[in-house]
Amino acid sequence: MKKIFRYTFALVMMGALFSLQSCEDYFDLDENPNLVNNPPLATMLATTTQKTGLNSQRVANITSYFVQYLAGPVAGGSTDTYQVTDYTSTWDALYLAMADIYDMKQKGIEAGASDYVGVANVLMAYNLSLVTDLWGDAPYSEAFVSTTLTPGFDSQEELYNTSLQLLDEAIAELSKTDSNVLLDPDSDLIHGGDKENWIKTAYALKARFLNKVSETSSYNPEAVLSAVDNAYTSNADNATMGVFQTRNPWATVALNNENLVLGGWLSEQFVEHLKGTTTGVFDPRIAQITDTTITGEYIGTPNGVGNVGSASNTVRDESYISRNSPLSGDESPLIIISYPEVKLIEAEAALRAGQTDRAYAAYLEAIEASMDLLEVDPAAAEEYLSDPAVAVGASDLTLDLIFNEKYVVTYLNPEAWNDARRYDYAYEGFELPANADLSTFIRRVAYPQGEASKNPNTPDSPVLSEELWWDE
Amino acid sequence: MKKIFTFLLLVCCVTSAFAQESVITGRVTSAADGMGLPGVSVIVKETTRGTATDAEGNYQIRVPDNNAVLVFRFLGYETQEVPVGNQSVINVSLGTDSEQLQEVVVTALGISREKKALGYAAQSVGSEELTQHRQPNVLNAMQGKVAGAVISSTGGAPGQGTDIRIRGINSIDPNRPHQPLFVIDGIQMDNSTSTFGQGTELRGMSNRLADLNPDDIESINVLRGGAATALYGLRGANGVVVITTKKGSQGALRVNFTSTAGIEEVNKFPDVQDTYTQGYLGEYDPESFWPSWGPTVAEARQIDPTHPTELYNHFQDAYETGSQFRNSLSFAGGTERFTFLSSISHLRHEGVLPFTDYENISARLNAEIKVSDKFRTGANFNYINSGGNRYNADRFNESLSYWSPRWDVRDFRTPDGTMNTYGNNNPIYGAATNQLEDDVNRFIGGLSFGYSPLSWLDFSYRIGLDTYNEDRTATAPGPRGLAGERVYEDNDQGFVNEYTTKFRAINSTFIATLNSSFGENFNGTLRLGHELYDRSTKSFGVEGSNLAVYDYFYLTNAQFLTPRQQQEEYRLMGFFGEASIDYRDFLFLTLTGRNDITSTLENFNRTFFYPSASLSYVFSEHLELPAFINQSKLRLSYAQIGKDALPYATSSGYGTYSVLPTGYTGYTRSALLGNEELRPEFTNTYEAGLEMSFFNNRLGFDLTYYYSLSKDQILSINVANTTGFIRAAVNSGEMRNAGIELALNATPIQTNDFSWNSSLVFSANRNKVLSIREGLEEITYASQFGYVGSTVTMKLIPGEAYGNIYGSHYQRYYGPGEEEDPLFLDESRPIVIGENGFPVRAPLSSQKILGNSQPDWIGGFTNTFTYKNLSLTGLIDARVGHEKYNQMGNFFSAFGIAEYTENRDDVIVFDGVLADGTPNTQPVYLGQGVGPDGVNYGNGFYRNVHRGVSENFVEDASWVRLRSLTLNYSLPEQWFNSIFIKNANVSLTGNNLLLSTNFSGYDPENSSTPSGSSVDGFAGFTYPAVRSYLFTLNLGF
Repeated sequence: MKKIFRYTFALVMMGALFSLQSCEDYFDLDENPNLVNNPPLATMLATTTQKTGLNSQRVANITSYFVQYLAGPVAGGSTDTYQVTDYTSTWDALYLAMADIYDMKQKGIEAGASDYVGVANVLMAYNLSLVTDLWGDAPYSEAFVSTTLTPGFDSQEELYNTSLQLLDEAIAELSKTDSNVLLDPDSDLIHGGDKENWIKTAYALKARFLNKVSETSSYNPEAVLSAVDNAYTSNADNATMGVFQTRNPWATVALNNENLVLGGWLSEQFVEHLKGTTTGVFDPRIAQITDTTITGEYIGTPNGVGNVGSASNTVRDESYISRNSPLSGDESPLIIISYPEVKLIEAEAALRAGQTDRAYAAYLEAIEASMDLLEVDPAAAEEYLSDPAVAVGASDLTLDLIFNEKYVVTYLNPEAWNDARRYDYAYEGFELPANADLSTFIRRVAYPQGEASKNPNTPDSPVLSEELWWDE
Repeated sequence: MKKIFTFLLLVCCVTSAFAQESVITGRVTSAADGMGLPGVSVIVKETTRGTATDAEGNYQIRVPDNNAVLVFRFLGYETQEVPVGNQSVINVSLGTDSEQLQEVVVTALGISREKKALGYAAQSVGSEELTQHRQPNVLNAMQGKVAGAVISSTGGAPGQGTDIRIRGINSIDPNRPHQPLFVIDGIQMDNSTSTFGQGTELRGMSNRLADLNPDDIESINVLRGGAATALYGLRGANGVVVITTKKGSQGALRVNFTSTAGIEEVNKFPDVQDTYTQGYLGEYDPESFWPSWGPTVAEARQIDPTHPTELYNHFQDAYETGSQFRNSLSFAGGTERFTFLSSISHLRHEGVLPFTDYENISARLNAEIKVSDKFRTGANFNYINSGGNRYNADRFNESLSYWSPRWDVRDFRTPDGTMNTYGNNNPIYGAATNQLEDDVNRFIGGLSFGYSPLSWLDFSYRIGLDTYNEDRTATAPGPRGLAGERVYEDNDQGFVNEYTTKFRAINSTFIATLNSSFGENFNGTLRLGHELYDRSTKSFGVEGSNLAVYDYFYLTNAQFLTPRQQQEEYRLMGFFGEASIDYRDFLFLTLTGRNDITSTLENFNRTFFYPSASLSYVFSEHLELPAFINQSKLRLSYAQIGKDALPYATSSGYGTYSVLPTGYTGYTRSALLGNEELRPEFTNTYEAGLEMSFFNNRLGFDLTYYYSLSKDQILSINVANTTGFIRAAVNSGEMRNAGIELALNATPIQTNDFSWNSSLVFSANRNKVLSIREGLEEITYASQFGYVGSTVTMKLIPGEAYGNIYGSHYQRYYGPGEEEDPLFLDESRPIVIGENGFPVRAPLSSQKILGNSQPDWIGGFTNTFTYKNLSLTGLIDARVGHEKYNQMGNFFSAFGIAEYTENRDDVIVFDGVLADGTPNTQPVYLGQGVGPDGVNYGNGFYRNVHRGVSENFVEDASWVRLRSLTLNYSLPEQWFNSIFIKNANVSLTGNNLLLSTNFSGYDPENSSTPSGSSVDGFAGFTYPAVRSYLFTLNLGF
């Protein structure tokens, strides 16, 4: 009996040892079949360029209410009326995009692919500017690395300086001629692999950033103008992203609205601006932005009020984002930064620098390019350009005129809110939304719950009327 | 482990020395039926010599001389001593021992052990108890019957998942399954709730155990503690539910037919206001988005004569009466060598939410063949086809909240088939058109082989396969392009999504059992075994959107196609040993050890060992006790259980970026930050129990205390997205669970014609998070939306319990020098009222504990009254002391639907104090717009203040219910003397007949999250629970 026990025991143990050894591979399942370890740079480029384009729309979908391009179809909408609203998904989309950009940059450095490093820097600078212009202080120096799970927050001014520095680095990297990997034209969803164009975009963004601090002592119009000199020369240079799974996200808003899932209603402020009620001149771009109502007019909706009048919300008696517009059609690209905007930056900086002729020329060129971009009938464009309210002459050019033009040029672009804040919302007729949660115009948004609940470094949000550092 | 084996070997070997004198042979039979009793211990008294009977009850033993006395001992039978004298053949007939609890329970790995030998708690539920209330899901049938198990329907949808958790949540990580391991006839059975496919989290998908036909089940045994589950290894870390299906027995063919038919209805609706109609700021607008902020019905009728005289009750109108039918047919029988049971069953279930249903077809064959006295083999095969139409109850109830009761929600289709609405989405149209149908084809099969070459040696091997294919098809028609057509929002441009999941799990178990009696006083059993579990899941799907032909649900008809793919493999191997020794049939010691090797950890941390020990002391057999005390015992156990990580928690990488159209490929950082350094996690469990029975077993109790501590937990925590990840795998944190479990059985009345049986189960668990991760103050694991700052979160904070719900709250008054507790709300303090006369919400940065989703205690009280052929069984089930966030309640405030908003035209003075502590005296108007005092109140109290305070919506979710009541009548057998029917039963069952709760939404047992989720604090827009009335006929042939 003793023997039997011993044999059994020995057999079981031998079996165990044998299977342990032969099974070493059998248990090696740590490679996740759903993931790859080292994706080619081109695949990261496709991801990061698309995410960046979509983020520009995500942010604009918030800021367009603040600048009253859009108005809620229902009274008391939370974004529409400045309520504390949780934008966790926008915040997360921005940071997850920046994480991919960060990785593309690291992989680019490892591979000696300076082109990819440069593009990563441009994309990072842009996404970071979207973050800090919404929330102010935000994580960057400790973000995206796996060493901390609770990144600290950098000050808004540091973030601003970082994004400028990223652009300078981008220009340096993109100017190198020995990149080990060339930009893949099919995967570069913004510039189709044209690195000269990326350099121009870096300068365009630099001009935008430098011009944003016009209210601070560090503002230097000459620096803005020198960036402009290296930026876009035509609409062909514009940084746009037009690759969508289904269609342009604004077109989706418009399509849903057509199907009575309401949204994308144009604000009364914007519509009246285009119609000339507040500017004194009818802007032909309105026909390329929106459609006429069933009564053949353009009617906007007041912010915070919702559907006006007794007419049913199913009757198309107001103006909406249109799928017929070159800016919001199914296949229209999303515009990150454009030639007309750069020209208006130039106009503003030149005017502030006292170079009125340059300012006026840039101002007119911006309008013309904008008309072009929106495919406005040339005759109508010409009529607008020659209207005395527009063609005021170099000596009569004012910041108001520039800001009014820029208000149209940056339609559905997040940059509009930066301008509105710099300009203290001084557009003619601009009013607080009905039943606004604040007694003054909104200046920032509150930190999202998603971050606050998981990162104890998240500061308490100040009141939303408190200005950012460049807006004080 | 080695030491234990050596010790056992030594103990066993003591028995092997003997001399050769005379040989006695014989057969031991049972006095009850004369059948041979296998495994009876035969010992020569006062020696160490002994043997055991073989399968037929025969034995052979050498005795030293004629003075020897043989002792025949067998569990559950009276021990007999027979002097040898001159006999060479001694046949013995053993009578059963009525003093003993003879209950034999199926323990880990299908090992049958006498209940009194167990040093840990085990509770079984028999076939009759499982089927008497005709619950379609086996788990529901166990509700209120098992101490320590919290079993919850996540909602009342046909086939909807039911959740079970044993002894609380033991992981800080809510993504880790807390479901126990399910083992059916020795085969590990998958009970996951798959949420593969867009939007399936909210569609009440089935837990896979729902596939089982409850009529097939003979018994369910719930193993709760570490010592009980030790042999199952880490897969049993959350407890094990051992299911044994019915078997055939030798004799004539038995045919059984059971048919159940019934109806069901929503058991609880929320209270809604019926005074105010559609519009905003008190202005009537029959097309307004706002369902109930308009004027009163009377005022609206002055403006609009077509306005109905009364508002509809859209909540009640939207739900229908459901129905269910189940028919089961089984055949059982066999010969001495071969027994079998076969069954077939069909369930058809129509839900109370329109257009939801579920169907289940199950076929089973269980067979056992005794090839020879030494060799036996068996097979269990179960084929199941199940699935149905699922709808998103969350969406349904949300849309229903937006729907204005000025309009009839049931009138959901226009004559041309498009959505009929005044403006908002019609939820019934959504249910009718936005569909998801699942179709599962599943096979669970097992083959077992047993070989007993010697009376004391047995080898058994079982191989099991659980495999299924699940197809899911989600469809919605696109717009037709008709003038004035209203499109249901979620239907978008129409879509067809096709998903397939292939699941396969192989489970192989080998056990060698060695039995020995050594000496008169000791019996020993040693088991050594090997187990392998190999699981693979592969899911893929294609989502097609923008349909060209609006209602042709074919992938090629879609303009945009997006592929989805996901796969996972998991392998686990264990070696285990169990040694049990009993001393004089009153002291039982069991030692186990298991070494696991897992595929989810890196090779340097992959293999780990953990032991357990348990002791059962049947003191009633040892001590002289008063006669009224029957078998009683004390139990003690200690166990350690290891746990591995979820698959692929050790690796990170780049996943497909799926937002690009076809033709572009992008990769993006994986959501999870993997961690190569993950180590196994260990839980130590201590358990003590006392079982006693009295008055000829008419009264008995079983009391258990347990304490378990999990350290160094493997977690995948949600991290701030600024890290570039969404989750991170870490080894950290400690969690403790401690609790008591009590089962009480009584037979207060027992006469020839009448009996009353009563049983009570009660359990209470206390959980505490001892630590989380260094550098983290809290882990947020769930949140649910609430308007303007009333979003609630569930988070773990060291020192606090799992399940706490945090949210915003009214500011309470604290005088000078009084400190405010940052975590707990002091409801006894007055609310601070602002200068505007309204209560002040504390700053949103102050999030306090408003409730906890884990119950203080649960209890089930079953009473059965039997009078002759008639019996009545009722089960009262209670879950007390827990809270849930009622998201629907939040919407009811925001949209003026709740009954309490009827006071909106009142002017009141809020009870509370001003910031300086003086009482508030300012009257304010609760409604919208300009009040009687000429002040403009804007959007009104409910929208400005009330809806934004989470405190108002985290409600007491305690409930007590009459879970079921069944009246059963066995038709007298003499009625069928002349025909082929052997027996017949009819029964009437009511489930959920009464519910008592303070919760204002639907039945608070429901959950917004699918079964299997550890997030259980949200119960707003759920599929409402049902009350059902069922008629059952059972016929035996």
